[in-house]
Amino acid sequence: MNQTKLSPANIVILAAGVVMLIGSFLDFYKLSLHGFGGSYSASAWSGANGFGVFGIATVVVLCGVAMAAQVGLSTFASGVSLPDTPLGLSWDQVHLALGFQATLMMLAFLIRSKSSLSFGIGFWLMLLSAIALLVGAIMRVAGAGATPNAAG
Amino acid sequence: MDGKTQPTTSELIIMIAGAVMLVASFLDFAGKTSAWGEFLFPLATLLPLYGVIMALQIALTKFANVNLPDTLAGFTWEQVHLVLGLFAGLMAIGWLVTDISSKGIGFWLEVLGGIALAVGAVMMQRERQTGAIG
Repeated sequence: MNQTKLSPANIVILAAGVVMLIGSFLDFYKLSLHGFGGSYSASAWSGANGFGVFGIATVVVLCGVAMAAQVGLSTFASGVSLPDTPLGLSWDQVHLALGFQATLMMLAFLIRSKSSLSFGIGFWLMLLSAIALLVGAIMRVAGAGATPNAAG
Repeated sequence: MDGKTQPTTSELIIMIAGAVMLVASFLDFAGKTSAWGEFLFPLATLLPLYGVIMALQIALTKFANVNLPDTLAGFTWEQVHLVLGLFAGLMAIGWLVTDISSKGIGFWLEVLGGIALAVGAVMMQRERQTGAIG
């Protein structure tokens, strides 16, 4: 394993990306059918009767995984060389854009009407990790806690 | 951007897509509900919002000679268009694969508009020779 030390910003992004991926497999929405003895739940990878979970919440997961993967690859995979400026953007800009998109979409889920459904643990983990991703991206841009050998 | 020149192909694509998406946002998106309706706002509203922001930036600088700041949060306007366009395209594909059973005309126009924004944003990089693509 590459011994390069992670900056605090990259630690936040890496941890948040992992938490988001785990959260995406847990309950995003849940519904208890009181009186019928049944329950219903949907993760970010399953359908939710037209509630736009799979497909839309999945975009958020992709944002988090992409950010964590970039940090992980550039830090621990010494044989992998990533482009310096993908699509003309610096990696800090890529992280900022992805973090902003993830947070915006999770906040949109938060304030959207959800009828009798309630949020599950997966939703809350994804919301918190999306905010953490944005914070990590801002920390990268601000250069907070940067280390000389921090991942690019 | 020179306010006296004619809009380029990419700028036209983005402006038309943005206008179509704004109108489509008031049409049926899922069932009889528009992108502003219950259960869909503000999630489905992000797509037309991105389209309107992109179209408005071009229209203001091209036709109204409005001087906007050169950069936004460290992004040039070309980069803003690229990021918003690609995210719009990604969300369009995302909505396309959701399990919404009754997809209305507004839905299809939003999806097509989102893809058009991505195409327009990529074309803009080539037209303005930003070096981002190709």
